[in-house]
Amino acid sequence: MAYTVSDRAPVFLDRDSPLRPDLTLVIAYLMLSAIGLLMVYSATAPGLTARGLDPTAELKEQAIFVVIGFVVFGLASSIDLMELKGFVGPIYAISIALLLVVLTPLGDSEGIAQRWIDLGLIQFQPSEFAKIAVILMLASLLSMADVPLTWQTTLRAVAFVAVPAFLIFRQPDLGTMLVFGFVLLVMLFVGGSTLRQLGFLALIGVIGTVGLFQLNQIDDYQINRLTAFIDPEANELSLSYNQVQSEIAIGSGGLLGKGLFEGSQTNLQFVPVQASDFIFTAVGEQFGFIGSAVVIALFGVILFRLLVTARNARSRFSFLVVTGIAAMLAFHIFVNIGMTIRLTPVTGLPLPFMSSGGTVFVAMSAALGLAHSAWIRRNMTLAERPSDL
Amino acid sequence: MNNSMRLGVIGIVFFALLGVLTLRLWTMQVGAVEAYEERALSNQSRVVSTPAPRGDIYDRNGVKLAGTRSALAVVVDLLLVESAEEKELAQNLAAFLDTPATEILDRFENDSQGGLVTVAEDVSDEQVTFIVEHREQFPGVNVVPQPVRTYPVGEVASHILGYIGRPNEEDLERPDVKGTDVVGKAGVERSYDAVLRGDEGRIEYQVDATRKVLSLAGEQAPRAGGSLILTIDSELQAQLQDSLRDGLAQARNLEMEERAEALAEQSRRERLSEALAEAQEAALQRLDDATTETSSTTTTAPGQDDDDVPAEPEEITVDPYDVLASLYPGLPIDDNGVCVPVQRVTVAEGESGVLSGVEPRFIRVESIDDLNGELVATARIGTDRFSVTNNDTFAGTVQVLEVMEDRLIVYHRDPWCPVRSVGVVLDPNDGSILAMASYPAYDPSAFVDGLSQEQWESLGTVNAFQNFAVQGLYAPASTFKVVPYVLALEESYYPLDRGVGDKEIGEESSGADGEDSSADSAAEDTAATTDATDQDEESLQPLLSDTDEYSCSGEFRFPLDDGTVQTKRDWKWPQGHGPLDLHGALQASCDLYFWDLALRLWNERSDESGIDKENLLQVYARSFGFGTPTGVDLPFERDGLVPDRAWFREEQRAETGRVRADGRWVGGDLMDIAVGQGAMLSTPLQLANGYAAMINGGTVWQARVVDQVVDADGEVIEDYARVALQTVDLDPRTVRMLREDLRLVVNNTERGTARSAFADFGPNVGLVGGKTGTGEVIKAPRTEKFRQVDNAFFVGVAPITAPDYVVSVVVERGGSGGRVAAPVARQVLQYLLNGPDGVTEIAPGLDAD
Repeated sequence: MAYTVSDRAPVFLDRDSPLRPDLTLVIAYLMLSAIGLLMVYSATAPGLTARGLDPTAELKEQAIFVVIGFVVFGLASSIDLMELKGFVGPIYAISIALLLVVLTPLGDSEGIAQRWIDLGLIQFQPSEFAKIAVILMLASLLSMADVPLTWQTTLRAVAFVAVPAFLIFRQPDLGTMLVFGFVLLVMLFVGGSTLRQLGFLALIGVIGTVGLFQLNQIDDYQINRLTAFIDPEANELSLSYNQVQSEIAIGSGGLLGKGLFEGSQTNLQFVPVQASDFIFTAVGEQFGFIGSAVVIALFGVILFRLLVTARNARSRFSFLVVTGIAAMLAFHIFVNIGMTIRLTPVTGLPLPFMSSGGTVFVAMSAALGLAHSAWIRRNMTLAERPSDL
Repeated sequence: MNNSMRLGVIGIVFFALLGVLTLRLWTMQVGAVEAYEERALSNQSRVVSTPAPRGDIYDRNGVKLAGTRSALAVVVDLLLVESAEEKELAQNLAAFLDTPATEILDRFENDSQGGLVTVAEDVSDEQVTFIVEHREQFPGVNVVPQPVRTYPVGEVASHILGYIGRPNEEDLERPDVKGTDVVGKAGVERSYDAVLRGDEGRIEYQVDATRKVLSLAGEQAPRAGGSLILTIDSELQAQLQDSLRDGLAQARNLEMEERAEALAEQSRRERLSEALAEAQEAALQRLDDATTETSSTTTTAPGQDDDDVPAEPEEITVDPYDVLASLYPGLPIDDNGVCVPVQRVTVAEGESGVLSGVEPRFIRVESIDDLNGELVATARIGTDRFSVTNNDTFAGTVQVLEVMEDRLIVYHRDPWCPVRSVGVVLDPNDGSILAMASYPAYDPSAFVDGLSQEQWESLGTVNAFQNFAVQGLYAPASTFKVVPYVLALEESYYPLDRGVGDKEIGEESSGADGEDSSADSAAEDTAATTDATDQDEESLQPLLSDTDEYSCSGEFRFPLDDGTVQTKRDWKWPQGHGPLDLHGALQASCDLYFWDLALRLWNERSDESGIDKENLLQVYARSFGFGTPTGVDLPFERDGLVPDRAWFREEQRAETGRVRADGRWVGGDLMDIAVGQGAMLSTPLQLANGYAAMINGGTVWQARVVDQVVDADGEVIEDYARVALQTVDLDPRTVRMLREDLRLVVNNTERGTARSAFADFGPNVGLVGGKTGTGEVIKAPRTEKFRQVDNAFFVGVAPITAPDYVVSVVVERGGSGGRVAAPVARQVLQYLLNGPDGVTEIAPGLDAD
C-alpha cells in the first residue's frame, strides 16, 4: 500500500489522513484534566482560605503542570516508538540511576516514604518515570523474543522489573511495586507467555509476598494499612481514617451529588490528601453517582482507545508498549478509585490525569502521548513515514 | 491464542474492573446514601451536653433532705491540647489536684466526652485561682460550674433517699443515660431518677476536620429536674432512727446480760450435777450390787428436780467479764465489750490477723494454693489447722468470704448478737409512709465523692446499704395472729373446746408413735396425756363464740395425716396461760388457740359444706396484702410469702431446698402459718400495711413515700393520690374488737404482752394499741450449744379510736417482742401522741411473745 501526504491539511482534521490524531482519546484526556483541575481547586480552596492564603494557589500550581503535561503529551505523540526503541537501554539505565539517587541523602522524604528528588524549584518523583522505562524495556525484550516465550525470556522480563521494583521497595512504595507486577503480568500475557509461566510467576509472587512478611521486611505501617483495610471500623480514628472519611464523602454524595463547592466532607477537609490520592472523593461527593460514572466512563474511553490502538499497532514493539501503558493506567484507576470506596487497600497510587502532583501528571501525559503516537503511526512503516513530519 | 484474542482478554479484565468500581459506587451512593449522609452530618457537628440540675427532695413539711450545690470542676478540652503536650499537662494538673498524673492520662484516654474530660470535681477556690493565674501551663483547661449533690440531714431518711453514683451496665441500657452521668442507685433517687434528672441541654457546634469550632449550630437549654415532696416527716424520721439505734444497743446489752446469766446457770448446773454424782456414788457404795437401775438414774437430765438432789447449793456470783471470756471466747466483741454481729477480717498470706473477742484469737494464713483452679487457703487458729475455700465455715463461727491469691477474707460471725433494727410508720388512711428506717444506715453524702474502700467494707459487711423495711423478709411471728383473729370473728369460726390441761388429741395408735417423736418431753406430760387421750375427737364441740373460753395450756400434741404426732409448745410453756377467750388469746398471745383454729380448718378442709377451708387463712392473709408487694415507690421491694400447698409442691418439685424434701403439706404447716412462723414471710412495711388494712376496715392502700412532684418554679407537676390495692369488707364489729384487743395488749395490766414496755408511756397510753411478736431464728435450742435466737416484733396502732399511725418495729435477733421491740415502738408512739418532750428513755419490757 502506498500513501501520500494529503495536501488537504491540516492533518488532524483530515478524516483520511494517516496522521490524524485520535480525537476521542485526546478529548477524554482533556476533559479528565479539566475535571481534575476543578476538583483540585474545590478540594484545596477551603483549606487555603482558612489559612488566609490565596484559594487558587494550589490550582495555579497544578495548572502549570497540566500545561506542561499537555506539551509533553504533544511531544510524546510525535515520537516514533520505533526510533525510541533504540534508546530503551539508556532510558532504563537512567531511571535506575534516578531511583538510586532517591535513596541517597539527596532524596527527600515526605511522611514516612522517601520518594522524591528535590531539584530546588520543583520536586521530582523518579518512580513515575521508571514505570514508563520498565514498560519500554519489557516491550523491547518481548518484541524480539520468539512466541511462545521461553522460560529464559520470561525470567529476564522478571529481572528487568525486579531491579527497579526492589529499589522502589526500599523507598518504600508498595503501590508502585504492585503496578510493576500487574504491568509485567499483562505484558507477558499479551507478549505470548504460556499460562504455565504466568501461573508460576503468580506463585512466586505469592511466596515472595508471604516471605517478605515473614522476614519482617515490610514495614509496620504497610501492614497496618492492609489490616486497617480489612476492618476499618475498629481503626476508625487511626489508620484507615482516610478511607473511612473518603467512604463517607463519596457515599453521602448520593445520586446527583451535593453540588460543586457544596460538599461538607470536602469543604471541612475531612478527607486527608484529598487533592492528590483522594481526589476521586471530591467527584463522588460533589457530583454523586452520575459524576463518578462519567469520570469512570471517560477512563473507560481512554482504555478502550488504547486497546484499539494496540490492536492496530504497526509493530510488535508498539503493540506491547501501548498495552503496557494501558495496563499501568488501568491499574492506577482501579486501585485508586477502589481505595476511596474501600474496595482496595490504601497504597498511595494517584488517579491519572486528576490527582494533583506535577510528576504524576507529566509522566502520565508522556505515557499517554507515547501510546497516542502509536495510533498516529499505526499504518506506516519507517520507510513510508513522510519526511516533513 | 493470538494477539487479538489476548488483547480481548485484557480488555475484558479492564472493563470488569471498571464495572466493579461502578457497581460499588452504586451500592454506596444510591443504596446506602442515608447512612453515609448521617455519618457526614455527625462528622461535622460536635455536641456538648449541659447537665440539668437534679431536682431536690423535701419532706412533708418542706425540710430539704437532698439538694444540689454548685461547685467548680476542672475540665480539659482535649481538642485544644496537642497530643504531645498531654503528658506535661497531666503532670501540671497532678501537681496541685492530688490526683496522680497517670490517672489523669487514663481519664484523657477513657473518659472523654466529645473531647471534654473532667479531671477534678469540687475544687477549692485556691485551686481555681492557681489555674486562672497560670493559664499558659494549662492549655485547654477550663473551670466550669458543676452540680454536687448534698444531703443536709445526713443519715436521716438515708434509706428512703437512696444515693447516686456512676451508672452500671444495666443503667447504661436506658436511652437517656451516658457513662459520664450520675444516676440514682437506691431509694427515691433511683425510683424517681427519670423525674429528678430532668433533660440535658445540648450545644451543637459545626467543626472542621481538625475539630476546630467553626460556628454555633444550635442550642437547647437544659430542663431542670422535678423536685420531690415526700410523705416523710423528717423529725419523726429522726426520732424513729434514734429509737431504732438505742433499741438495738439495748438489745445487745440485754444479750450480753443474758450470756452472763446463762453462764451462771451453767455453772450452777455443773455443780448440781457434780453433787448428784457424789450422792449417787455414796448410795452405790452403800448398796452392794451395781445394777442397771443406777445407770438409768445417771442419765437423768442435769438440773432436773429430783428427790435425790441435795439442797440447793449456795448462790454463785460471777463477774460478767469472766463469763464472756470463758463461755464465748471466740465471738467478736467491740471496745465496750458488746457483741458485734459480724466482723470482717482480711489476712494476707503468711501473716496473722486478729479475730476480736474477750480473748482475741489469732488467725494465721500459712499458705494459699491453687488446686485445680480453686484457691485453697490453709489457716491456723490456735493449734487447729483448716484448709478452706470460698463460703466454707470453720472454727464454728468463721466464714470464708473470699480466698484471693494473696489473701483470705473472712467474716467472723456472732449469730446470737442482735443484728439490726427496722421500723416503719405508716398512715393507715392512705398508705403514706411517715417514717421508715433500717439501722445500721449510711450517710448518702459519702457516695457523692465516692466511698472509700474502708467505708464500703464496713458498711457492706452489715448490709447498711439495704433498706430492710422493704428488702428484709421476716416470719412475722405472733404479730400475724391478728389474721386468724379476724378470720375467727368474720367467719364465726373457733377452735374445738378441749377442756383443760395440756392438750393431746388423736387416736391411741398414733399416740405411741408420738411418744417416740417427742420423747424428750414425754416424762413430765404423763399426767396430762391420760386426760387428753380419753377424749374422743368426734365428741369435741367447737367453741361457739369469741367469748367462749379455751384452755390455753403450755403444750399441744396432735396427730397428722401422715401418721406422725407433733408436739407444739406455747412460748409460755410450761406454765400456760389458763382459760382465755379469743380476745384474751390475742392479748396474751396464746399460741394454742390459733394452732387449734388452724388445725380445725385443716381437719374440716373438705367437709360436707363444700367450702374449701384449706386455704381460708391464706385467703385472709392475702386480702390484707401479705405475700404481695405493697407497691411502694422504692426499689428492690420484696414480695413476702404466704405459703400454701401449691407453693409447697412447687418448691419440692424445683428442689429449691426451702422446704423438706419428703412428705406432704400437712396440718402442722398450716398451724405454723397461723402464728406467723414456718415459711411465712413478710417485710416490715408489709406488716405495717397489713395492720393498716385490718384496722381501717379492710382497705389495702398502696404504700408510698412521694406525695408530689414540683417543677423548678414550685408548680405541682404530679400529685399522687392514694391508691387502693384491694378492699375487703370487714364487719365494723370485727374492726372495733380488733382495735380494743390491740389496745389491751398494751393496756391490760394482767396479761397484755406489751404492758410492761408501755408502763411508763405517760398520758394517752389508753389510745395506744399493738401486738408483740417473737420469731424463732435459731430453733431447736437443744441441739445447739447456745440458746435459741429470736427476732423481736412489735406493731403499734394509735390513736386506737381513729388510727392515724401504724408503727412496725423489728429487731433482728433481738429477743422477744415485748422486751426489745415494744420499747422502740413505745418511744415513737410517745413522740406521735405526746410530742418530742413526751419521749422517755428506752428500757426493756418484760420478756413476752
